[in-house]
Amino acid sequence: MERDELLSKMTDAVINGLASEAQTLARRGISLGLEPTDIIDRGFVPGIRRAGELWETGDYFLPELVSSAEAMKAAMAVLQPELEKSGARKENRSRPRVVIGTVEGDIHDIGKNLVAALLAANGFEVHDLGANVNPERFLDKALEVGADFIGLSALLTTTMLGQRRFLEKLSEEGHRGRFKILVGGAPVTGQWASDIGADGYAENAVAAVSLCRKLMGERT
Amino acid sequence: MSALVVIRPSGTKIRVREKTLLSDALRKAGFSPGLYCRGRGVCGKCAVEILEGRLPDHASGEKEILDRAGLSDRYRLACRHAVESDMCLRIPEHALPGRISVIEFGPEVALPFDPAVKKFAVEAVRAADDLSELDSLFHRLGTAPLDVPLDVLRKWRAVVKSPGELITAVVGEERTLIAVEPGDTTGRVFGLAFDVGTTTLAAALVDLETGRVLSREACLNGQTAYGADVVSRIHLVLEKPGRAETLRKAVLSDLAGLAKTLLSSAGVRESEVYAAGIAGNTVMSHLALGLPVDALAVAPFASVFSSLSVLSASESGLPFLHSRARVHIAPNIRSFIGGDTSAGLVASGFAALKGPALYIDLGTNGEIVLKKGRRLAAASTAAGPAFEGMNISSGMLARTGAICRAEAEGDAFRYRTVDDAPARGVCGTGLIDIVALSLEKGLISPGGAIAAPHKILPLVRGLSLNQKDIRELQLAVGAVRTGIRMMLEAHELRSRDLKEICIAGAFGSRLSVANSVKLGLLPDVPSSRFRFLGNASLSGAVALLLSDSARRGAEETARTVKHFSLAAQPGFQDVYLSSLEFKNWS
Repeated sequence: MERDELLSKMTDAVINGLASEAQTLARRGISLGLEPTDIIDRGFVPGIRRAGELWETGDYFLPELVSSAEAMKAAMAVLQPELEKSGARKENRSRPRVVIGTVEGDIHDIGKNLVAALLAANGFEVHDLGANVNPERFLDKALEVGADFIGLSALLTTTMLGQRRFLEKLSEEGHRGRFKILVGGAPVTGQWASDIGADGYAENAVAAVSLCRKLMGERT
Repeated sequence: MSALVVIRPSGTKIRVREKTLLSDALRKAGFSPGLYCRGRGVCGKCAVEILEGRLPDHASGEKEILDRAGLSDRYRLACRHAVESDMCLRIPEHALPGRISVIEFGPEVALPFDPAVKKFAVEAVRAADDLSELDSLFHRLGTAPLDVPLDVLRKWRAVVKSPGELITAVVGEERTLIAVEPGDTTGRVFGLAFDVGTTTLAAALVDLETGRVLSREACLNGQTAYGADVVSRIHLVLEKPGRAETLRKAVLSDLAGLAKTLLSSAGVRESEVYAAGIAGNTVMSHLALGLPVDALAVAPFASVFSSLSVLSASESGLPFLHSRARVHIAPNIRSFIGGDTSAGLVASGFAALKGPALYIDLGTNGEIVLKKGRRLAAASTAAGPAFEGMNISSGMLARTGAICRAEAEGDAFRYRTVDDAPARGVCGTGLIDIVALSLEKGLISPGGAIAAPHKILPLVRGLSLNQKDIRELQLAVGAVRTGIRMMLEAHELRSRDLKEICIAGAFGSRLSVANSVKLGLLPDVPSSRFRFLGNASLSGAVALLLSDSARRGAEETARTVKHFSLAAQPGFQDVYLSSLEFKNWS
């Protein structure tokens, strides 16, 4: 198969959310001697980007987006070890790290899972703490892994207050400058994010990826 | 030895053992003798005419009761006499309050009539009795001593003047003497039933003597001015505790307004309303009673109370009732599954269905109750406000001018609006129809994407649906579908196993089943298995007023329903995501 044709099939597999096909294509790429970084950057990443665009135009909804993220994840499961073998370990280290979870008192986590999946699919190293996460666990994990971002999700107006509490805790303990704090969830707005002094707010998972990219750019 | 009893006018014949109480014989024959006073021989409502057979002597006090009711010498109280030999009797229609029906739509459910408050006219005590006046009253009522508020006794002499005069005892739940009134006021005993919804309040005035619902009224819950859904109202209170009282006053003043309208149009005085039945979701009942809601704000969403004992009007803050009126609150089941559900379950006779059966209340919070075998399980699912049109760009409640139904007419759609007024917006049922039709015509893909590149579905001039509107509906439909699917799966049932699906709520009653099935909101079962309950919560509140078995049934249901937490189930997310596509269940 032509190399370009293979790469475009990889892109399509992610757009169409076909996990096992994405994995098969990734293996074929490796066996044909393609560079893992090429396979990722030119084969799969355009797929997840396109899925994001389709979300933004309204053509894709949650199920399609999740399938695409899962196809991406399946492909990466094949490619990650190859990357490390091929000496790209250093690059791997530099992947931005995200600690994410739903705040204390809130058990809703589908939206948060989606953000986590999409960030992972876009090359972020994601540490998902699940739902009903107290401020201590967020902070401990972020310090442990040396997080760049902490993402706090809340689905209820009542539990949203937990986002503010976390920011207060960070400041009190002198860690405020260490991480970028992102907030999200149905009742959360950009106004709320700035009111409580968070670094960013995104309306949905696709926007969250763009936001993290933008903030990473600012850092470097 | 047995005896033959012939019952007219139906001509039913029944053979019973001698010495069987006449009322028991009637019950055995399938009749419902009016045992208003529970067979104490006080109320006179079980009187039957003895046409043939031996006419027994009057029991003590019986003749006075029959005379007062204007019944001839051939009448006897069925609760006071046993069958001694073959006989033929007639049940007068007026003496049979029968069984009440509380559900407005669909097949009716019958509950035994046994109202929350009853009146009994008795003669005032004679001077020669050496019992206290109160004990003498209990004796005449045929009851064990009742709880008596001191206030009743303080005013005693104003009511009980000379011996032999008639007085009326107002008795609540067989335990409390609510009032003693001069003269015979037995025909005047009323109750008010309330459905305290997050968005809408509804009330019914009920004649507790006959069991009839006299009139109904509804209005918007004044709390909506402060926040659309229950969570936003809790949030307001958390921010500023003083707002709890603001919210409480808002809803109580609306309830008072409804009561005033109902009472004045029926010519009933506030002092003649001796009971209220209130059914509302957990947050509404907490706010209306002035109870803390903070624990309902965060997981695990705990309520302060589930069941309450009967309250008085004054302590519950309902000034438009008799001050000692008995207030029955429908019990909350668990966290957000509240009294509206326990009331609706009772009104629909759900617990008695053979099953497997499903009860669904479609609102911002969708409640789903499953009956399998003898067990009941309940779940709540966060559908969001799409069914109420609240987060839809051109959405509105089902009020004047809302597009509530749509049909295909060639390539175009024909719309029906509430009150046939010019279209002002789209309510939940209209949205379901429009999206189902658009799906059929390929204007929307099963995944929910609008086919037109500009992602707009024009409806009528000035009204359209956008892509986000469709997504909101998908989330709402998906939440309900996920709830039903996971409940069924956990109980090893398939949707086609459901023998009956009861749909509560105004939204449900106006819903097109065919279109709901097309979108996957409702399971794909024959339409004959759906039963629409209308405002089941209000019906349940009425049932609390009229039937002791409803009151006990609601308590028992609330106590025994197993709570099924959807979000805690493994696989919840996968089921939810796969439920977002518009497609039928099969």
